[in-house]
Amino acid sequence: MTDRPHRDTIALEDARVLSQDAYPGDQRILRLAAPACARDARPGQFVHLRCDPRLALRRPLSIMRADPDAGSIELLYKVVGEGTRLLATRRPGETLSLLGPIGQPFAPHAERPRALLIGGGVGLPPMVFLADALRRAPPWRPFAILGSEVPFPFDLQPARHPIAGLPAEASAAMPLLDDWGVPNRLASRQGYPGCFSGYVTDLAEHWLAALDEAARAEVEVFACGPHPMLAAVADLARRWGLPCQVSLEEYMACGVGGCAGCVVEVRTPDGPAMKRVCVDGPVFAAEQVFFAA
Amino acid sequence: MMTSPATDPRLAIDFCGLAFASPLVLLSGCVGFGEEYTRVRGFSNRDVGAVCLKGTTLAPRLGNQPHRVFETPCGMLNAIGLQNPGVDHVVERILPGLDFAETRFIANVSGSTVEEYHEVTRRFDDSPIDAIEVNISCPNVKEGGVAFGNDIAMSAQVVTACRQATRKPLIIKLSPNQTDIAGNARACLEAGADAFSVINTLMGMAIDSERRRPVIGNNQGGLSGPAIKPIALLKVHQVYQVCRPHGVPIIGQGGVENGRDALEFLIAGASAVGIGTALFYDPLLCREINATIADYLTRHGLERVADLTGTLCLN
Repeated sequence: MTDRPHRDTIALEDARVLSQDAYPGDQRILRLAAPACARDARPGQFVHLRCDPRLALRRPLSIMRADPDAGSIELLYKVVGEGTRLLATRRPGETLSLLGPIGQPFAPHAERPRALLIGGGVGLPPMVFLADALRRAPPWRPFAILGSEVPFPFDLQPARHPIAGLPAEASAAMPLLDDWGVPNRLASRQGYPGCFSGYVTDLAEHWLAALDEAARAEVEVFACGPHPMLAAVADLARRWGLPCQVSLEEYMACGVGGCAGCVVEVRTPDGPAMKRVCVDGPVFAAEQVFFAA
Repeated sequence: MMTSPATDPRLAIDFCGLAFASPLVLLSGCVGFGEEYTRVRGFSNRDVGAVCLKGTTLAPRLGNQPHRVFETPCGMLNAIGLQNPGVDHVVERILPGLDFAETRFIANVSGSTVEEYHEVTRRFDDSPIDAIEVNISCPNVKEGGVAFGNDIAMSAQVVTACRQATRKPLIIKLSPNQTDIAGNARACLEAGADAFSVINTLMGMAIDSERRRPVIGNNQGGLSGPAIKPIALLKVHQVYQVCRPHGVPIIGQGGVENGRDALEFLIAGASAVGIGTALFYDPLLCREINATIADYLTRHGLERVADLTGTLCLN
C-alpha cells in the first residue's frame, strides 16, 4: 500500500473573527479563532481565506502568530484589491471559511543558530512567527530586520537589545520582538524616527560586516517581502556565502496543489521546473528562485 | 447528516459501463493527479463518481509563465499551459499511487499533433486507468488543443486516432469556442466517441490598465466559474440532442457550485456533472451536492439519478 503522508494535513474550518484592527497605510491585523489551524501552524505557512461569498477565489495570507492554547491565529495584511477590501469589512463575531495551515514552513538549520530574519511590508508576518518559534528553541539567536514604506503596524520604541555594528540612527525596534528578547531593528526610506534610512539589505550589510568570520559562518538568512526585496536579499546572501530561504507569493486558486496556478520557476539539478507556491512552497531556497546574474 | 454516495445507491450511475458511485466528477486541471485534495481533512475521492486527472502529453511540459490564474467577476481565468510530467511518468509513477477502490480515475489526453494524441492514448490504454478523456479544447497552448477542437474535421481526425489506440471508454471534451458544437459532437460520435465533456473553458482576457498589459502570462486564458454556467447549460442541451438517440452520456460542466446547478445540468441532458472551480473555495462541496440531489430524487419520486437526465421540457 502506498504511503500517503500528505493526506489530512490541511484543516477546513469556520474561523471566527476575534478582532480586526486598522493601521495606517491600509494595513489590518486580523485575529481569528481557528483551533485546528492554530494547533498545527508553523512559521512560513499560510491560510487560504474565503474573504467574501461573492468572490470565486480564496485569498492566501501568511500567518503572523499562532496560539495553540488559545486556538487563535493572527494575520497582517494590506488592503490592495477586492478580496482584501471585503475582508477588511469583517467584524468580530463573523465567521470566515479558512483552509490551513498550508505549505512548506521555514526549515532553520541548527548548525547556523544566528538566524537573520528580514521582513518587508506585508512580508513581516512570517518573520514575527519565525522569531517566536526560534526564541523558544535553543540554540537559535534570531536577529530581525523589518522594513516598511508605510507606517509600521505597531508603535516604535527604543531598542532594548544592543547590536554591534549598526548605524546609530537604527535605534527603534518592534516592541513585541523586544519583549520576546529578540533583537531587531527597523528600516525605511520614509524617514520614520529611529529607523535606518535605506533598504533592509543595507542594514543587513552593516550587521554582517561587523561579525567576525566564525560568527558569520553561523548565519542563515530568512526573508519575506516584495519580490525586488527578496531578489536583493538573495543577492546579499550569495555575496556573503550564506544559505537563504525566501517565502514567495503568487496569485493562487486552489491553494492545495490541485490547479498548478501559483507556480514559480525554479532551478533543479534536472533543469528548470515549475513549482507550486502553495504546497511546494511558499518557502524556497533563495538560490533556486533567484539566479546569479 | 450529509448523505454519502456509498449509502445512497440512487446516486450511482453506469457511465460507459463504468460504475460511478455518484454522478459527480472532479474535473481535469482542478485536482492535479488525483491526490492533491486529499490534503484537506474531510475530503474524499469516494464522494465522487470519478476524478479526471491533469492533462497529459507525450513529453513533459513546463507550462506557461505566471501569472496563470486571475479572479474575474463570478469566475476566474486560467492559463496553466498543460504543465505535466509526461505520460510515461504518469503511468509508471503516479497511477500506482492512486487508490482505485475510492473512485474511477479518468486520464486526460492532450497533444500538439494527431500522432501525439494517438500515442498518449495508447500508453494510457496499457494502464489501470478507467477511461480516457480527450482534450481537443485546451485554450491555453499555442498548438493543438482548441486549434483541433474548433475544427470539425480535425476533431474527428483526433478522435479516430485515439479510438484506434484504445478500447477504454473515450470521452471527448468539447470546446465552447466554436459555432457548431452539435455538429462537432456528431462528427466525433461517428469517429468513435463514447461520451462527451461539455464544456471546456471560454477564452478570455484580463487587462492591467496601469501597466497596459494582460494580467495572465499567456495573455489569454480560459474562463470558468458561475459566469459561464448559462452558456454551458445551453451547450449541454445542444449536444444532448445529438447524443440522445445513441445513448451517449455527457459530463455536463461549467460553473456548477451547488446542488441546484448540478440538477440543472442533469435536466439539460447530462448523465454526470463536473465540479471544478467551485472546489477552490469549497473543497467539501461534493457531499452537499450529493445530498441535494438525493433530496430532489425523494421529493420528485424518482428512483435513480439517471431518470433525471434530459428531462427538460421546452417552452
